[in-house]
Amino acid sequence: MTWAWIVLGAVLAGGAVLGVALPFLRDPRPADDTIGAPSPREARRLALAEERDRALAALKELEFDHRTGKITDEDYRGLVSPLRQSAATALRALDAEMRETAAMDLPPPVPEPTPPPDEGTPPTPAPVPEPYPPPDEGTPPQAPDPEPEARRGQTLV
Amino acid sequence: MAELGRAALVISLGLAAYALAAGGYAAATGRRRLSDSARNALVGCFLSTVVAAAVLASALARHDFSFVYVAQHTNRTLPTMYALSAFWGGQEGSLLLWLLILTGYSALAILVNRKLHRDLIAWVVPVLGGTATFFAFVLVVIASPFNTQTAPIDGDGLTPSLQNPYMVAHPPMLYLGYVGLAVPFAFAAGAMLSGRTDERWIVATRRWTLAAWMFLGFGQLLGAHWAYTEVGWGGYYAWDPVENAALMPWLAATAFLHSVMIQERKGMLKVWNMVLVALAFELSVFGTFLTRSGVVNSIHSFAQSSIGGWFLAFVVISSIFSLTLILWRLPLLKARTKLESAISREAAFLYNNLLLVALCLTILWGVVFPILTQLVEGESRTMGRPYFDFFLRAFGLPLLLLMGIGPLIAWRKASVRSLVRTLAWPIAFSVAVGITLLALGAGASKPGLIAYTFSGFVLATIAVELVRGTRATGSLFVLVSRNRRRYGGYIVHAAVVLAAIGIAGSSAYSTTHEVRLVPGQSTKIAGYRLTYEQTDPIVGDPNRTGDYAVLNVKGPWSGTLRTGVVTYTGFQETDEDVGIKTDWLRAQDLYVIANFTNGTNAVYFKILVKPLINLLWIGGIVFVLGSLVALWPDAREQRRLATRFAAAQA
Repeated sequence: MTWAWIVLGAVLAGGAVLGVALPFLRDPRPADDTIGAPSPREARRLALAEERDRALAALKELEFDHRTGKITDEDYRGLVSPLRQSAATALRALDAEMRETAAMDLPPPVPEPTPPPDEGTPPTPAPVPEPYPPPDEGTPPQAPDPEPEARRGQTLV
Repeated sequence: MAELGRAALVISLGLAAYALAAGGYAAATGRRRLSDSARNALVGCFLSTVVAAAVLASALARHDFSFVYVAQHTNRTLPTMYALSAFWGGQEGSLLLWLLILTGYSALAILVNRKLHRDLIAWVVPVLGGTATFFAFVLVVIASPFNTQTAPIDGDGLTPSLQNPYMVAHPPMLYLGYVGLAVPFAFAAGAMLSGRTDERWIVATRRWTLAAWMFLGFGQLLGAHWAYTEVGWGGYYAWDPVENAALMPWLAATAFLHSVMIQERKGMLKVWNMVLVALAFELSVFGTFLTRSGVVNSIHSFAQSSIGGWFLAFVVISSIFSLTLILWRLPLLKARTKLESAISREAAFLYNNLLLVALCLTILWGVVFPILTQLVEGESRTMGRPYFDFFLRAFGLPLLLLMGIGPLIAWRKASVRSLVRTLAWPIAFSVAVGITLLALGAGASKPGLIAYTFSGFVLATIAVELVRGTRATGSLFVLVSRNRRRYGGYIVHAAVVLAAIGIAGSSAYSTTHEVRLVPGQSTKIAGYRLTYEQTDPIVGDPNRTGDYAVLNVKGPWSGTLRTGVVTYTGFQETDEDVGIKTDWLRAQDLYVIANFTNGTNAVYFKILVKPLINLLWIGGIVFVLGSLVALWPDAREQRRLATRFAAAQA
């Protein structure tokens, strides 16, 4: 009986060795054997994406805090503009980074003969990325309400 | 069969050591296949540990006394449920459970995150591998559960106080919490080692931390209920070093769960969060050291041996490792923004963090003080209950207050005017609660009165938040489902309030009465009339002998109550089996302990009436519910993160 357990142990050890060796057995001559850490450009894009998310989340929070009465209209007006500015800056920075990357990845443009004025269609501009969805509560940031106090009075009180 | 268990543990050790060494080398040199190989080794380590655990569980179920561990911790009369729970009733089994949970968590964490965070995972593998290597080494070299002997006819049996349904669930629950804190620690260390200190490690470990924290919190409550029903002194928490050992990492993890939100929203407190994650992990290993080393006197130190030194060395080495990493990566951990106002949500979180960490460190000081005095003065001096109670009030009551204020303050900046307007209703409600309680005579205990008033305040703020949020979104369901973390957190806050009411009620307003009765005699306490009717001996139970006193009770709860003294087969010491009856309308317990006198038919009874105590246990259920709400996957959040990572990889 002891031998049976020893054999089982040996099978377990064999399985362990096989599992550890698997990446080398499956791919003995890899074209690329690097872990693939994000490039500096990718890291920058991630940082910008984090910044964008943070800025939009902050706007969203502010909106929600205002709607639930945690901040006064006066405080809201004072806070919303810088937040919108930082959100717009973050979006623009990420957009610019993405465009730059896309431009670098494109093959060099092949010169084409200019079509006559009545032929061809004008080039379609690249689609603009949709505004990023707000992270929670589901209400997109809105323009400051000219009379928010009165409006909240109707809905909340 | 023990050979298979031993072989499985040796294989686990080899695989964990390979994950540490090969994984570290692969991460440092950027070798993909070697890194994948190390990852597979960690997964394989889990599988071989499962085999080792299955061997021990099988030996316990079969009463195979040729295993020294089985003979030391079970006997033939032990019911199967307790025979299996003996897995964690002794040192070696507990350590095997540690390794099993650690490798299970590790395998799951790296498999779930392997594609999204490849460079991060490459460093997480050796950190988790290093931790697993330590536990596997202890199990193979120092404390093996697979030592064998010539099988005796019967075993020694399981410590009587462990023969309780709560002890079947409490240790695994605590271990799921303790060990779970290794995952966020490994990801934090991985982030620093790889130099990628962005938010990915937080995103990857957010739910792991929450789950570990939930298990640790619920495990402590189960332990408290075990102490209440089994130890027989009428309380549930005695500031015992081993109890504190579980509380400290929980407090550190609580602080982290709050402060990490500031990092996510503002990019602040990066260093602080790293420190908290490391502190929580180190305290969890330190807790195991306290439980297992025998350096402190504790009713919970069921297994003591010489492994304490190994654990202490591991705590010291891993603490130095964490501290060095943080200092090395300080330039990467600089905050991008500053606190805008002292009256803001993030400021409230900061105050909450300071109080939680202060409470954690004062408890730590109380725990290590006897060890230090033993070392320095040659004589151990302990910190008593007044020390811990004082700091619990000093830090706990402001924490309770902050729990109410925090959610009602806006992020970034709030004016005093808006704060007063927001807090008006909760303040009015809490003042009304305080005045009413004073009128009802609750002023006998000032801390109790303050705790109740603050509890009323927190409950009112939660209600205000839910009402205003529901009005803003149109539906409570929509409100909660769109921000599960926040509203799950509010449910947890409500659970803490219930627990605070239970603790204040049962400690500040309880009634105690000690009396000697012979059959037929009665006594009165807090509206109850108890008549001692007869003694009822245990008959026909091969595992237990003893006597029960039968009492007839009339009052808020009426019926028959049994309380006795039991001796378990193979053990000399007796075990109090307390009689508890609950009046659910008042959430209070009638709690009776019997002490039989030799040679007479008289019994000494200690009778306690503990008002509101059951709110503590109900709070435990609400705590789990709130944690599960916060843990529940959020499709919107997943989409948001997918968009973020897609943008990075575009």
